[in-house]
Formats: sequence, structure tokens, C-alpha cells
Amino acid sequence: MHYLIVGNGVGGMEAALGLRRRDGGARITIVADEHDHFYSRPALMYVFAGQTSLRDTEPYDRALYERLRFERVRGRVAALDAAGKSVRLDEGRTIGYDRLLLAVGSTGRPAPWPGAAGPGLHYFVTLRDLEGLDRDARPGRHAVVVGGGLIGVEVAEILRHRGLKVTFVIRENWYFPLALDEREAAMVAEHLGRHGVDVRLGVNVQEVRRGEDGSLRGVRLSPAARAAPPTGAAEVPCDLLVSAIGVVPNTAFLAGSGLALSKGGAIEVDERLRAGGPEVWAAGDCANVTWADGSRRPEQLWYTARDQGRVAAASMLGDPATYIRGAWYNSAKFFDLEYTTAGWVPVRLDWDNTPLDPGPDLREWFQRAPTGFDSQRVVGRGDRVVGFNMVGRRWNHEVLLDWIAARRTLEFVLDHLAEAQFDEELSPRWRRQGPAALT
Amino acid sequence: MQAGLMDTYHRPLRSRKAVAWVLCAALVAFYLLVYYTDVLEGPARRLRLSGKWTLYSVLYTLAMVVGGAFFLRRHGNSPYQRVRTVTVVSVQVVLAFALPLVMKVLGHQEYYFSYFWPLKIEYFYPSVILHQPFLIVLYSFLGSLVAFPLLGYFLGKRFYCSWICGCGGLANTAGDSFRHLSDKSTGAWRFEKVSVYTVLAAAVITTVIVGLNWAVGKDHPAFSAFGFGVQRWYGLVVGGFFSGVLGVGLYPLMGTRVWCRFACPMAAVLGLLQKFGRFRITVKKDMCIACGNCSTYCEMGIDVRAYAMANEDVKRAACVGCGMCAHVCPRGVLKLESRPVRFKGGEPIRVYAVDL
Repeated sequence: MHYLIVGNGVGGMEAALGLRRRDGGARITIVADEHDHFYSRPALMYVFAGQTSLRDTEPYDRALYERLRFERVRGRVAALDAAGKSVRLDEGRTIGYDRLLLAVGSTGRPAPWPGAAGPGLHYFVTLRDLEGLDRDARPGRHAVVVGGGLIGVEVAEILRHRGLKVTFVIRENWYFPLALDEREAAMVAEHLGRHGVDVRLGVNVQEVRRGEDGSLRGVRLSPAARAAPPTGAAEVPCDLLVSAIGVVPNTAFLAGSGLALSKGGAIEVDERLRAGGPEVWAAGDCANVTWADGSRRPEQLWYTARDQGRVAAASMLGDPATYIRGAWYNSAKFFDLEYTTAGWVPVRLDWDNTPLDPGPDLREWFQRAPTGFDSQRVVGRGDRVVGFNMVGRRWNHEVLLDWIAARRTLEFVLDHLAEAQFDEELSPRWRRQGPAALT
Repeated sequence: MQAGLMDTYHRPLRSRKAVAWVLCAALVAFYLLVYYTDVLEGPARRLRLSGKWTLYSVLYTLAMVVGGAFFLRRHGNSPYQRVRTVTVVSVQVVLAFALPLVMKVLGHQEYYFSYFWPLKIEYFYPSVILHQPFLIVLYSFLGSLVAFPLLGYFLGKRFYCSWICGCGGLANTAGDSFRHLSDKSTGAWRFEKVSVYTVLAAAVITTVIVGLNWAVGKDHPAFSAFGFGVQRWYGLVVGGFFSGVLGVGLYPLMGTRVWCRFACPMAAVLGLLQKFGRFRITVKKDMCIACGNCSTYCEMGIDVRAYAMANEDVKRAACVGCGMCAHVCPRGVLKLESRPVRFKGGEPIRVYAVDL
């Protein structure tokens, strides 16, 4: 049996490990064009910052591929022949397979603004992106970072550390409305401001200005849809433009392969992660899966890509394994502020600044510490706690999810919240300030 | 991100470039001079210090105070790091520097209250310890045989290695910029397990021989010569060469805990107690992004990330509980703990999304 895995990220690597664990004799080939070794993509920012080396971000020793007899092919797949069970690399070579896993991940969503393409435009998703940005990010320069999500804030942090001026352009009326409410976002924006980031809310890039030689001169900003009146100059000069407006699946090569793709380009898979073609599976960022709320979208998270890789391996081995999305949780860091979320937290603002209705019988408890950047939001439906959004300190999502699963009441949770604290030892114990203010 | 750790790999001194080799050579040369020559006696007298060891003690304490201040500037935002650093520097200044100096000035034989057998092997040599007042003898024996095993079991070896000990103190203050250079390979781990327990065995055997020599040496001149020989060699090789010359000399190339990891007999004893004790690094399930900051900054070369990725609490004899893995983790996955149970109540939920 020849298993072919396209992609050497966490999904592909977990699948390869799962296959080898069960099938010692199988031939396993991994095709990848980014790096010879599996590394942690979320760690790119630490390599950029010089906090770790690229080697430090490789979780396994480099002898792993030889030890587990993973054949490596360095190259990029240009086309899939699902009927003929083979892929063609862009150098022309063809590789046949018995079973194929597509774990091709995603790349930065192309900057759509007029004049964007050209020197000085950067993304921050792949090693190539990192190398380009590393060359260009020199002290004293001015960078415009577009996109109020996690990659944007990571890039802004390192560029500030490198001594660049940073303007952070965000389309929505507050930072990261997908995860934060207005109060939390205001706190984060204040924190970014203290680190010298010029945060511009409710603005779009209207066009990118370039000189006659094509060099980047600046961007022209315009108010976003339904935005509060923007402040600050509409013309922002810059030497670097970083587009951090999301990612798109790396699936252009699948056009004409017969595999069904979603509108966004993700590979449609069933609950066993089988893609449309015979003996083809997909996992990770590039797979369109069913979420707990029934919607179908790709999950662009580290741990879900890992889990999908494991399920794909079991499924490829013939097990009746299914991918079931568990409760939502995630964590992140905005400069120094730690962020933990668990369960269901209402999104209050759509991408086009339309207010969203959180639905009936919503109860929310919110507290911000009188000093510093530290807030907790506990979300309830009726009496029952359904979600948590915590900024500024560490929380144990396992405990938070326990409470949600056990249908704990808001009152119970608020009485016990300190038990879920996960700060470093000797940190002050979390305290509730006065009675619960429920909204 | 950790402000103090950014650019670690952009600095030649911190990434084994030529300047790091020069510093290593300088440190090795300095330690060879201190341990095996009297070259430093002259400068010591000129500074009106009583001898080279007092000069060494002054330099060592100064390095810890200055290094501690730098460390606090970088990592003082963490309460654990703040309290730990202030404690270990204070212990050095008071117990390992000021108090012995005062004793010496008052005409007593000096005694380092922060050092115990088997690290300070002399403190179980009858010929050394019995010259001390009874209370100090009691302090030394109760410390090594009662207090340390109990504290090691309940708190982990960190109470000593990261909070009290001067060797660990220097590593985590003046040497802290080099912590990421520790060898993470499994080969190093295999070597460490052999070497550290070999030195522990050597320490125990040496102590027994020296004790026997004290008791019966007068009647057996041949054994007596042998006993003094063993005592001298242990001092020269383990006390001087391993802990000083290599232990500090290799900071710029192999990280800060070479001595503690590969050779310290005290770390070996406490590590065994820790392995069966309460201390562990709790891992939050399925939250690790495998970035590798924890493993990179582990000065003991523990691959913390492997545990975090496997959702397994870290329980390793080597861990000195410096707390930096938890501190640098960008997802707050790790927590040092020594309380018996962290959380009771509620059924453990299957956070894990996969149904295999």
C-alpha cells in the first residue's frame, strides 16, 4: 500500500505518524515544498523575532523521517489525476498512489486593493513570507499592517520590536470582533497603543500608492462600511505593507481534478474526511468540515488540523473513524495580553460593521480589574453558563469546558471561577469585584 | 512574546559565535587560575581581601546581584520569577557571602549556611564539620538528612536548585542569557542519567572513605594515604573541575546548568525525591501549538514540548523548577505545581475532539 501525503504541516505529519503506527510495512511518501522538516507554523513569529531558531520550532528530531521510513519529495503538486491515482509535480514528475491525503494548508489571502501587488507587499503565513519580511523590516521604516486578527497583531508586535513605525488598519469598528466585544477590544487597543502601535479602526485600504519605479509610497484609507467616523489622516505613507486579512486554501491546483471545492476553495469532505474522489482524503486548513453549529467551513487552527490528521489516518486505514468537532476553545496573545476563550461567546459585530443580535435569554457577566489589562466575561443562556472570554491572565479551558458541560449556573461559576485560574505560581488569586453585574 | 528573549538568536554572544568561544575560553582560564594557582592572591591582597577565595566570593556575589537585576528587568513581570530571583540573590548575599565573612572576621571558622552535603561534601567529613559548634553540626546533618528529603518530596528540587543554591543562582542570574544553549538531544539525556548518578555514587563512596579514614586511619597508614588521596581527587575533579571550570566555563556554549545537570550529586538526590514527590508541571490539554519556546528555554535540556504535545504532565528528575517554560509559553499551557490536587469537581470533559 502506498500512502501519499501532500503537505508537511501538522495535519500531514500527524496522519503520517498515525499510518506508520498501524501499518509498519506501508510505503509513506510526503510531498512538500516549504521545508524539509515538520515545523510549527504558529511559531513563525518567534523565529521572526529571534526568540527561537527555525530548528527550535521543529517538534521532532530530524532523524524521524529516516527512522519511520517517510519518503520525502521536495516539490509542489501542480495537478491531481484522481481517476489515474497520481499527482504531477510542477517540475513534471508524476507520483502514483493507492491512497492520497491532501493536507496542503493555506496561504495569505491576496491583498485585493488597487496597486497592492508589487515590492513591499508582505504576508505572514509561510517560511517564504517570513524570509521576505525579515529582509524588509528594518528599523525606522514605516509599516502598515492590514487586518484585525491574530496574524496582524503578531506582525505588529515584532515590527514594533524591530523599531518600525506601525499603523494597524482594521476594517471593523473594534479590534477582532469575531472574538472580542467592544469593551475587551478597547482594552486590547489601549494596550497596543501603549506599545506604540497606531491603531486605526473602521477604515479600509482604498488604494496603494506607488512611485513611478513601482516602489511603495503609502496607502490611502477610506471609512469602512457603517464605520464610526474615522480619525487620523487618510493618507498613510509606508515602506512596507503587510496583508493579514485571513487565509485561503492552497487548492488552486485542484481545479479540473473533479474534487468538489467550497465557494472559498476548501476541499469538501465527509465526516470520515473523504474528499470527493476515490481514495482521496483531506485534512487541516484546506478541508471544509462541519462545525458544531452545523455550518460548513474550514477550521484554521493548530489542534483541529492535528486531530483531522489523526482521523484521516484512521479513515485511510479503513477504520470507521469520524471527525467530530468538540467544544470550541482557543487561546492567543495580544502583545503581553493572554487570551483564553471556551464555549459559545456571541459575536456582536459582523465584518461589515453590522451589529449582530446575540439571541434571546442571553446573560453576560463582565469584570475588568480596576488596574491593568485584565477582564473576564462569562456568558450564560438563561441560568446555564455557555461560554467564557478571558483577557489578560491565564485560565484553564478544561475547567471552563467542564462547567459548560455540567450545565453549571452563572452563580456557581462566579463563586468558583478562581479554581480555573492557571496563572504562574505566586500570582495573586483572582477576585470578583463586588456583586455580579449581569446584563 | 517575552521582551527579554526576543533577538536571542540575533546576538552573536548568545548564539555560539566567535565571541562566545572567546568568553568561554576566558571563563575556563579564570577558573583554572582560581582553583589551581595562587595568581589571584596578589590582586586579592591589593584589594585588602584576605585571599583569593574571598575575592572569588566577592566577584561571584557581584555577578549574581548584577545579573539578578538584569533578569528582573526582563522577567520581573512574573511574580514567580520575581520572588524566586530576589530570594536566591538574597540567600547568596546573606548566607553565602556576608555571614561567612562575619564569622571569619570574628575569628570563627567560616560556614556556608546555604550549602549542604552532598553538594558541599566536606560538611559530612568529620574532620571538617566537627570543628564547628554543635548547633552548626546539627544544622548540617538535619538539613541534609531530614529537611532536604522532606522539602524535595513536597516542593520538588526547585526549593534548593532554583531558590537557594548559589550554583543555580549564578546560572539563573548572570548566566541567564545562555539558558537556551542546553543540549536537547536524547543522547545528552542518556549521558546525563549515567553521569549524574555516577558522581552521586562517587560522593557517597568518598564520604564513607573519608569517614572511615577519620575513625581508623591512624592505625592503618596505607588506608589513610588512600583515603586522603580519594578526598583530594574528589575535590580537584568534582569540586573544582566539574563545578567550576566546566560548570561556569561552558555557559556560553552549552548553557547554564552543565554542572547541575550532568554532575551535581545534590541535584541527583533531590531529583529522585522529586520523581516520586508531588512537584510536576501541569499541562493544559490540547492547547499546545508546538512552538518550542518551553524546550528552547529549558536550561536542563528537557523537551517540555514533547510532554505538552502529548498532554502529559512533566515529571522529570532533572527539572529544577526555574519556571521559565511556564513563563515563556505563549498559550499559558504550563504551570508548576506542588499541591496534591489542583481541581476537584465536575466530570472531566472530553475536550479531545477525535472519535477514533
